[in-house]
Amino acid sequence: MDTFLQQLVNGLTIGSIFALVALGYTMVYGVMRLINFAHGDLVAAAAFVGLTVYTQVMGGVASLTAVLVIFGLTVLVISLVGVILEQVAYRPLRQAPRLSAVVSALGASLVIQNGIMLIWGPRMLIFPGELIPAVTWNLGGVVISLIQVLILVISCALMVGLYLFVDKTRLGAAIRASSIDQDAARLMGINVNRIIMVIFIIGSSLGAIGGLFIGLYYRGITFNMGWQYGLYAFVAAIIGGIGNIPGAMLGGMLLGLFNAFIAGYVSSTWADAFTFIMLIAILIVRPTGILGERVAEKV
Amino acid sequence: MRILNRFGYGGFFLLILLLPALLDARWLTVGTTFLIFSVVALSEDIVLGKAGMFNMGHALFFGLGAYTTAVLNSSFGWPILATLPLAVLIPALGGVLIAGPIVHLRGDYLLVTTIGFNIVFVQALQNDIFGVTGGPNGIFALDSLRLFGKNLDSPMAIYYAAFLVLLLTLWVMRNLETSKTGRALHYLREDHIAAEAIGINTRIHKIFAFALGAGLAGLAGSIYAVQYAAVSPEAFNFMQSVLFFAIVIVGGSSVPGVLIGVVVMFVLPEVFRDFATWRYFIFGFAMILAMILRPRGIWPATFGRLPKYLLGGERHGG
Repeated sequence: MDTFLQQLVNGLTIGSIFALVALGYTMVYGVMRLINFAHGDLVAAAAFVGLTVYTQVMGGVASLTAVLVIFGLTVLVISLVGVILEQVAYRPLRQAPRLSAVVSALGASLVIQNGIMLIWGPRMLIFPGELIPAVTWNLGGVVISLIQVLILVISCALMVGLYLFVDKTRLGAAIRASSIDQDAARLMGINVNRIIMVIFIIGSSLGAIGGLFIGLYYRGITFNMGWQYGLYAFVAAIIGGIGNIPGAMLGGMLLGLFNAFIAGYVSSTWADAFTFIMLIAILIVRPTGILGERVAEKV
Repeated sequence: MRILNRFGYGGFFLLILLLPALLDARWLTVGTTFLIFSVVALSEDIVLGKAGMFNMGHALFFGLGAYTTAVLNSSFGWPILATLPLAVLIPALGGVLIAGPIVHLRGDYLLVTTIGFNIVFVQALQNDIFGVTGGPNGIFALDSLRLFGKNLDSPMAIYYAAFLVLLLTLWVMRNLETSKTGRALHYLREDHIAAEAIGINTRIHKIFAFALGAGLAGLAGSIYAVQYAAVSPEAFNFMQSVLFFAIVIVGGSSVPGVLIGVVVMFVLPEVFRDFATWRYFIFGFAMILAMILRPRGIWPATFGRLPKYLLGGERHGG
């Protein structure tokens, strides 16, 4: 029972990180029908930018201000990179065959990944652990750390905020309209280019926060970790139904829990295989994810 | 146009035949791998380009062929030549079994399941499934190819063996393009609902495309295992599938396009090997640029030729 509760806590922590990153995939897919393969590498870049902000800007002194400045600046830098990414690699291919944009995304992924390597080197760097006090609580054998609580609470708050934003505001309505039919949205006076920019800013910001969480939680960061986390987050988005915002949240949590239980009960050397077998099984039974996609298919 | 086409291929074949005389040992290895990768990329083109299914797990079939040869040779002592038929059949069967439950999935969902199968495959190899795959290190010290009692273990012999397989693949592709099945696949890529409406069994054709692509990739994998006398899981991981996928799209899913794609995506990075750290940074930009400048690929496919009676109306019933 202890293992079960412990893995539940761990799974929810990883799951909220997956969900944050998955939102970036699903929002871009919803409007552009594009798998943004570079998103995972933006997440990895965020961890490195955060590390540099801490050592260079804040002088390596841990405080609440330091944490806030790190998050603020990193989100700013990464959303800027996200916007540039869209302008350079995706905008010129808006009218091109869909697979051209996929290859362009793969190219962008290589650029960002190797850019990280050129700037920060190929070796693993260690994210500062002193940023968040190492407080842990022992609840009847289950160990919960402060960072786990923070990750869970902040992620949930962000997701609720995003859901309300997309569902209740005018800009959110414009985003939904653009994802149903871009041309009709344009005819209604929506500036679709601006919507896409907003989507990249939101997606990259959530991804950046996810990347910082990865740094804070796992500590070790490498230039190529974006592929791993990106792939998992993408799987989470698919499981929930791509283009579907609550689906990405559900998919992320499910995937995190599944991973934690596999690691806890079965074996970690088969973890990836089990994850993908689950994914394939879900897609065979429900071809468009658990909650279904929110993407219109025209015949 | 036809003459130019034939001339182009003639020149290309002559170049490939004479190339080993000009290459040193390292470049001969690159040349052999170029031929093998061309076969895999063309077989991926059958699934991705011809049938229009987003397959990003093609390295699985490549690896299945390589491991079939390696396991039969190292664990069961089969001569390499005897393993070749199974190195085609097992991946082809694998293609049918894998494609069967998933071909009805739409575009990107198919893409992610094929990635999934590729990752499951590589992890199974790494965990030494059935105790014959040698785990993360793979299998090494395979026998060399023996034909009529002669050991064909020189790099030159393997180069020509790979060339033979490429010729076979080109022949299959040519026949496919002019056959009923090829036209059905083409139609199904353009509009699968319309294809179904005129009575094309889309499911059978999609599975057939997977099986054919998998079989050819398996044969290429077998030669790949012979070339290095070894196999290891990383050679067939998901990144390798991404490479074959990108080759087809950058090249433009025609035969010359795919071959150019292999040169651009595999041979050129080998040329710039000295710039190890900057290589892939620039390579990524090149991929973006290639797609922006040539959104349909470097040498886009033009399907078939219109039949003569459609072009010259006066000769037919006029």
